[in-house]
Amino acid sequence: MTQVFYGLLLYIFLAMPPVVHFLESIMVLHMHMQMPMLVASGFFMAPFFQKRFPQFFSKWNGDGVPGIVLFSIIMVYWTIPRTMDEALTIPAVELFKFISIPFLAGVPLRDSWMKLSKWGRHVVLIGFTLLFIVMGLLYVLTPVQLCNSYLVIDQFTLGWGFLTTSIGMIVYLIYAFVVDPSKYEGIPPEDMSSSDE
Amino acid sequence: MIKSSTNKIALILVLLFGCILFYVGTDGLNAFTAEAARVNRLVDEQPKFPNVTFEDSKGRNYSISEFEGKYVLITFLYTSCTTVCPQLEMNMSQVYQQIPKEYMGKDIVFLSISFDPTRDDPATLDKYKDYFKSDGETWRMARIPNKAELDALLKAFGVIVIPDGYGNFTHNSAFYLVDKKGSLMNVLDYKKVDEAADKIVKILDGEKGA
Repeated sequence: MTQVFYGLLLYIFLAMPPVVHFLESIMVLHMHMQMPMLVASGFFMAPFFQKRFPQFFSKWNGDGVPGIVLFSIIMVYWTIPRTMDEALTIPAVELFKFISIPFLAGVPLRDSWMKLSKWGRHVVLIGFTLLFIVMGLLYVLTPVQLCNSYLVIDQFTLGWGFLTTSIGMIVYLIYAFVVDPSKYEGIPPEDMSSSDE
Repeated sequence: MIKSSTNKIALILVLLFGCILFYVGTDGLNAFTAEAARVNRLVDEQPKFPNVTFEDSKGRNYSISEFEGKYVLITFLYTSCTTVCPQLEMNMSQVYQQIPKEYMGKDIVFLSISFDPTRDDPATLDKYKDYFKSDGETWRMARIPNKAELDALLKAFGVIVIPDGYGNFTHNSAFYLVDKKGSLMNVLDYKKVDEAADKIVKILDGEKGA
């Protein structure tokens, strides 16, 4: 399983002190590089757990909903300004970040995504788009420093990071609603989504 | 059938976990920022003002015991600051004006502490204090020359100072009210001048009545 290996490699890379220090020194890198890459590392490592405990995933995450809810909870949790601050000042919180994001968000995301219906996925994407718009506006419009460890200007950059990401997600959603890929690629629409439908 | 029921259980467990995580992570939904958590903790713990030696704008040296028997309203600043500190000190000066004269210097003293002792020598502080109509007596500005003592104080009061790489610092600001025995009794929002002044006057009036 090459991807499991690369996932683990990415995880180890992200956990190296100089990398941790660099990515966490800039707020936008902390939230929009380190955290998504931790999700990605878990996402790649997921097949290892899925192969190992197929029963567990099919039994407890049969329709993908518990997994995606767990993913969302972990993601929202790490957007709270305080959690980001405390990841820098309290080692236990930092450790929790490195465990929760790959294994409680990345792994369930992988397991759930293909199990969700097309509409389920759209609901998740719309939810995160709205969250990103709200977080983006919060960081761009508040002159108040929400984090003690980061400058207001960092916060501003992060806000625009959220807004531009949400623009990207809106473009994708428009595409998903408007464009019918089967017309262009000759793939029947049923095959584009999961077999559960 | 079995599959869907285990899914429901899993979903409930996940939601429960989420509630606990958010509840614990925000001190019972009270503190969504580290700053709020810090202020709540300080007001709860009421840490004692550590033993440090000040050097004020007149070059006098003393410790916090100088103010024994008086309330002390404290802010932290550095004079080269062009952003928050002038606003913080401006607001402090407005609070200063709202405190009845009879209390000033007798029951309460204002103290601005610089955390940039290398640049903020007595002469600099002396000049700086004039911008805010501080008299240097009932409202003093001082530095803490000893680095270890300064760090101990910043740590005790949870003041996080980050150099921004351009010779400036960024820091969390507030009014710190220290009671007559030298313990931190309250942390007030420096942006709400009237509210802070009201609270202080109420405390002073209460003392007088008692």
